[in-house]
Amino acid sequence: MKPGIPTWLLLLPAVAYLVLVFGAPLGNTFWMSITEPSLGLQNFETILTDPLYARVYLRTVLVAASVTLLCLGFGYPLAHYMARRGGLAAALLLGICGLCFWISYLVRTYAWTVILGNRGPVTAVARWLGIEPPPVLLFTTTASLIAMTHILLPYMVLTLYVVLARIDPNLIRAAHSLGASRWQSFTAVVLPLSLPAVVSGCLLVFIFCVGFYVTPTLLGSPRDMMISSLIANEIEALLDFGSASALAMMLLAAILVLLTIYDRLVGIDRIMR
Amino acid sequence: MSHLHLRQVSKRFGAVQAVIDATLQVQAGEFVSLLGPSGSGKTTTLMMIAGFEEPTAGSIELAGRQVEHVPPNQRDIGMVFQNYALFPHLSIAANIAFPLKVRGRPRAETEAAVRGALALVGLEEMATRLPRQLSGGQQQRVALARALGYQPTLLLLDEPLSALDKNLREQMQIELRRIHRQVGITTLYVTHDQAEAMTLSDRIVVFNRGRIEQVGAPLEVYARPATRFAAGFIGDSTILDGTASTAPTELRLPDGTTLHTAQPLHTNATGAASLLIRPEDFHLGEPPAGANALPVQVLSVLNLGPHLLLIGQHAGREIRIRTPVSPAALASEGSTITAWWLPAKSWPIPPA
Amino acid sequence: MARGPEAPSLANAVLAWCVAGFILAPLIIIVPMSFSAASSFEFPPLRYWLGHYRTYFSSADWLQPTLNSFLVGIASSALTLLVATPAAFAVNRREFAGRRALQILLLTPMLVPSIIMAISYYSVFGSLGLNQTYTGIILAHSCVSIPVVLIAMSASLRNLDRNLERAAAICGATPTQSFRLVTLPLLRPAFILAGFFAFIHSFDEATISLFISGREVSTLPKRMFASIHLEADPVVAVVSALMIFIAVFAMAIATLLRQRRQPARA
Repeated sequence: MKPGIPTWLLLLPAVAYLVLVFGAPLGNTFWMSITEPSLGLQNFETILTDPLYARVYLRTVLVAASVTLLCLGFGYPLAHYMARRGGLAAALLLGICGLCFWISYLVRTYAWTVILGNRGPVTAVARWLGIEPPPVLLFTTTASLIAMTHILLPYMVLTLYVVLARIDPNLIRAAHSLGASRWQSFTAVVLPLSLPAVVSGCLLVFIFCVGFYVTPTLLGSPRDMMISSLIANEIEALLDFGSASALAMMLLAAILVLLTIYDRLVGIDRIMR
Repeated sequence: MSHLHLRQVSKRFGAVQAVIDATLQVQAGEFVSLLGPSGSGKTTTLMMIAGFEEPTAGSIELAGRQVEHVPPNQRDIGMVFQNYALFPHLSIAANIAFPLKVRGRPRAETEAAVRGALALVGLEEMATRLPRQLSGGQQQRVALARALGYQPTLLLLDEPLSALDKNLREQMQIELRRIHRQVGITTLYVTHDQAEAMTLSDRIVVFNRGRIEQVGAPLEVYARPATRFAAGFIGDSTILDGTASTAPTELRLPDGTTLHTAQPLHTNATGAASLLIRPEDFHLGEPPAGANALPVQVLSVLNLGPHLLLIGQHAGREIRIRTPVSPAALASEGSTITAWWLPAKSWPIPPA
Repeated sequence: MARGPEAPSLANAVLAWCVAGFILAPLIIIVPMSFSAASSFEFPPLRYWLGHYRTYFSSADWLQPTLNSFLVGIASSALTLLVATPAAFAVNRREFAGRRALQILLLTPMLVPSIIMAISYYSVFGSLGLNQTYTGIILAHSCVSIPVVLIAMSASLRNLDRNLERAAAICGATPTQSFRLVTLPLLRPAFILAGFFAFIHSFDEATISLFISGREVSTLPKRMFASIHLEADPVVAVVSALMIFIAVFAMAIATLLRQRRQPARA
């Protein structure tokens, strides 16, 4: 059939919009990173040589890696159970994970300020157990770690679930009929087949985590800043647009590298499937 | 003048020749089946007639009009899709009214046409239902009613029965024949099921690898297949290969046996020729004078209910014999028997 | 049901439900919090009352940001639908050179960290006079919602049977009639769903709003951020509880829409 409207015309609005409202502001930030306060690479020089910045990068990567591992550790059993159990239980669990996409991460962050606060349930339980003084959790890296794991966990679970649910249960039955134990059939059949989803879920969570701003700012320690908070700080506290832009560009470059890896391993366009 | 006329129609997708030089004439009111395995070009041919694909070469004439560049909505064709393609958001009546509505026909005429089409397929009481509330067989009838309701000049059916189970399929075949007789519309029917094509059609078009191999009435294609493919695809068959003897109606098998036939052989340059014998034309026992006879080693006996199918071999060639149930035939597995047939019951086909 | 080897083990079940509890518990805690009588964050609350709800519904300081969030959410999701729907058709229905690259490009706004977009908008909109304006926030939110709409629309477009449009054509419908009478009605739930997603995406967006919305057009997440960060205002619990109620409601509607979109197959 001959198409009615030419393809380029269908694409024009979205592409034009992206160029103007996405590309142009990013381009401007790049421009500022090499021209504020004067033309040159001095902003990049500072952020690449100052050990203060280096500590922030390292902390960001460590936190993101920890969150990723926590999400995988919690998410895999849940996704595996949903996929193998099926039925109403799976639908219910899927609903719980799905609900998280509808609830603002700000609301979930707030919940953790209550839970981890000094008048919250965690402190109460610690007191009841006789731990005095109770541990201080709020405004620590641990707090932002827990909350970010909570917020990003549904992404991991759904990524894993989609692939795990597609594994034919007959393969597992076959492995059993051939003499494999429960554990053997998991490690020899299910795990290898789900590996692409593990890679995809981990990269996705890591990418989201590296750029997280709101949660670490509200829950974390002001002394243990992550890169997003540092960028915000350069602008809000120091009004240093040049180095904020340079930091943003560094972060963007890191994200682009990760996305390229993701694209090679999984294919970014697969997100649309 | 024929109602539908394909002249040397070809279709290429990239490097793939889907249809090659298809030429076909269909008379008004005929029921013609396009039969072939998947990928043989039958569906592509249908899609070109419908207007969803444009031929790379050749012309298509429908009701005296060149249509190969006419968009599908201006061809005045009715079509039943393999998955029915009923509009899920419209009621049965609205589905059938759709073609009349987009043509801007008056309301009264549309309503009468919908009533008529529903009566034709016996689903009057389903008019207000939605497609998903109907069974597969009912959806099939609605699809048919929608394709006929506006009295198009040609009806295309794209494997419409393939999604139904066996009993329902047979019922629908009877139904299709009744409706075709009643309406008299020129119909093209795509199928890969040779039994279906045999039951339904006035003529069968055999497709293979993008080419039309044979066009003919069902019994003619069965009894006198033009090609080796047509012989093998339609019905059960035994094919014996050999070389032409001195007489044009004598075939010499590799083991030296000479077979006689009523028709001259198709001999190729190297002198090779082949004969086709249908399983029901074999007989067991003492051959009468003038019959061809072969010793056959029976490998297995399949009980098909009303008759037996003996699968055996002679000099490495598979022989398939259909015979009435008898103790002797049942016990023949593993032994060698004599099978005979009359020369007139073997049909020469081109050698491999 | 017989427990075959393909069924999950008991240990797996226990672990899974624990993780589900970890996901769900913080959300559930919010609801009693919102009825607490205490003046700051405390759980479990000592007394219950509706005072914080009264405060929320009578304070312009909270209602204005709520209204702003609704306005921005509706406007930006409408704009995103307008911009992204034709692209979704092109990407899913047409073959063209560079299709994959374009698909990736259209998805990137979702993958670039919000903080980068936030400071980029902050400086560009600053020089254009768009900071602290509805226009600015709507433009920014529409941009980051494009991938959301694209993903939602693509799923529906792929599920739409191409034979239905062929059937419309062979029935005599012109391409316009076919689009109006068949494609559009069948995609209506998809449009609503995609718009819904885009709205939620905007309604929940905090980082960009923090930088560019200012005091005049402050969105609800910005107001909440300030509350949690600086004041420890218990009204946050009310807003959070309301947002959870809305989310549950929205999800119920979305589930219904999805069921309507995928009728039972024969």
